[in-house]
Amino acid sequence: MARITLNGIQHRYPGAPDATLKGIDLVINDGEAHALLGGSGAGKTTLLNVLSGLSEAFAGEICFDSKVVRFGERRNVAQVFQFPVLYEGLDVRGNLEFALKNAGWKRGARHERVADIAAKLEIADLLNRRPKDLTLFQKQLVAIGKALVRPDIALVLLDEPLTAVAPATKWRLRVMLKRIQRSLGMTMIYVTHDQTEALTFADRISVMDAGAIIQTDTAQALYERPLHEHVGYFIGSPGMSFLNTRVQDNQLWLADTLLGSTDAAPGLYKLGFRPEWARIVPLNDDHDIVLTVERTRIEHSDRGVPFGLMNAVCDGERLHTRQQLNEVGSVTLPAQAALKIDIARCSLYRDGWRVDGLLGGLLDGHAVG
Amino acid sequence: MQANTNKAWLGVLPVVLLVAFSAVIPLMTVVNYSVQDIFDVQTRVFVGFDWYRETLRDPRFVDALLRQILFSSLILVIEIPLGIVLARGLPREGRLLPLLLVLLAVPLLIPWNVVGMIWQIFARPDIGLLGAAVNAAGFDYNFTGVVTDAWVTLIAMDVWHWTSLVTLLTFAGLTAIPGACYQAAMLDDASRWQVFWYVEFPRIRSVLVIAVLLRLMDSLMIYTEPFVLTGGGPGNATTFLSQYLTSMAVGQFDVGPAAAFSVLYFLVILLLCWLFYTSVMGSSKGPDPYDEDGL
Repeated sequence: MARITLNGIQHRYPGAPDATLKGIDLVINDGEAHALLGGSGAGKTTLLNVLSGLSEAFAGEICFDSKVVRFGERRNVAQVFQFPVLYEGLDVRGNLEFALKNAGWKRGARHERVADIAAKLEIADLLNRRPKDLTLFQKQLVAIGKALVRPDIALVLLDEPLTAVAPATKWRLRVMLKRIQRSLGMTMIYVTHDQTEALTFADRISVMDAGAIIQTDTAQALYERPLHEHVGYFIGSPGMSFLNTRVQDNQLWLADTLLGSTDAAPGLYKLGFRPEWARIVPLNDDHDIVLTVERTRIEHSDRGVPFGLMNAVCDGERLHTRQQLNEVGSVTLPAQAALKIDIARCSLYRDGWRVDGLLGGLLDGHAVG
Repeated sequence: MQANTNKAWLGVLPVVLLVAFSAVIPLMTVVNYSVQDIFDVQTRVFVGFDWYRETLRDPRFVDALLRQILFSSLILVIEIPLGIVLARGLPREGRLLPLLLVLLAVPLLIPWNVVGMIWQIFARPDIGLLGAAVNAAGFDYNFTGVVTDAWVTLIAMDVWHWTSLVTLLTFAGLTAIPGACYQAAMLDDASRWQVFWYVEFPRIRSVLVIAVLLRLMDSLMIYTEPFVLTGGGPGNATTFLSQYLTSMAVGQFDVGPAAAFSVLYFLVILLLCWLFYTSVMGSSKGPDPYDEDGL
């Protein structure tokens, strides 16, 4: 296992007008489960190929621990692909020990190691079967075993490894992967476009967009303090809601309604909040933020009280809250209501990026501080 | 409710007629001839399996059959590996690829007797480019006079004519292999031989089976090319089954023996192809890979 350092990695496909990777800086700690999360075309797979040595970066350097690894130089990297890549002509044991044989392991040691890995992946009873006699799920388990079998592996790359697996069994594979990653202390990079996979697997997640890493952080930090609107949208289900606000004399305004206080510089901002940080309540007085509730969706109920998502439009912006659903009072939708936001938890965004600055809420409709 | 009728059988009729006229009736005619001795239109005698017995005891038939099997084995042994090597050598993409594919396809587009003609002239020891060159290089080469030379020329001609078929089929199979398979092998430190044997071969196996079958069937039926090139000679050294059959049926009007010969010939081809196919495909049945119930 190793600590992986990327410094200013850039990559461009021949003939492509734009770089697919625009200067990636990233440190992945020894034994860390890291996820690269992003939509298609974000550059995740390209970055993976640069790491595995398949593609050459035209700028930047990769270090495994303190050693700089150049293109063409061998590195101890294993990879699990979107669909199970196995040697069809060999049985499961043959597949698992293939790399060990090439590395010159003796028969006894090979068997011991294969038995060990197979036990961890719960495929010990499949060792003598051929890949064609396995289900997709089992095949992908064997493919993962193949990647983990060499103990000198510095880094395991997982390229959307759950794509081919039936939805019902995805979680099983994910849980198993996570457990093995923990128990072997392997450095793993997991590429996915599925935030659930990333959030449940990884210690830290790098959110990628258009060839750059926008934010690298823990799942909780990504949720609570997204550095960019894109991260806010991408993480969370539904994503972050944004309102067009303005800062003037250290006060935060939504049109004519005062929202709170801030030390941000005057100007136009977007106020980003998670569904849990806001509530929709019946209209009360003139200081209310007025919005129109369009839809609700029950997610669960607590002693007969429905909880779920509210979908509303405020000042032309669509927003979501997660709350007790009968709080609004009205049963016919669309209905006018008021929005209460826990301003202190929110963030301000300018040109897409989060602005550092304290936010304070209102007490009884008056600005604090 | 409608009463059950047998009208649906009428729907099958066109196919029955088509198959009857295209295959069953002609074949049965031949079978009919093969069990009779026909002197003229009125005079015919039922002889049972006499013609078959006679054919199988005919040393010229046995020789032609053995020659046929030797020829087919030799060209398969050369064309299949050569075709694979060429297909692996082709670039997977790029501007050169379409040109190379067209060049490879050219021999396949040439009519059989033209191929025979080309090689007949090409290999002539006096004026042919190949024949004259080989003789000038100090080898005594004459495909019309020396048995080995005739065989070498014939096999070279067949290899030239048909290796492209194997190459193109194999290439199609190779391009269908996902890049990830190669990548995985690279990360496993697989050697070039291991990449071929463990990554490529299992995935091109079925196209190779088709390639071998096509070449086996075609080579067992070979007629035109040796007919034009060597005329079956020197002596009977390159007389294969179809040539011997033609000389018997058309040259000597031995309709009964020729019919028995035809049926045997047909059965030999059927048997060899069936033997090959079942021995190769017999062991490759697996469960549905998308069946997730086996968890």
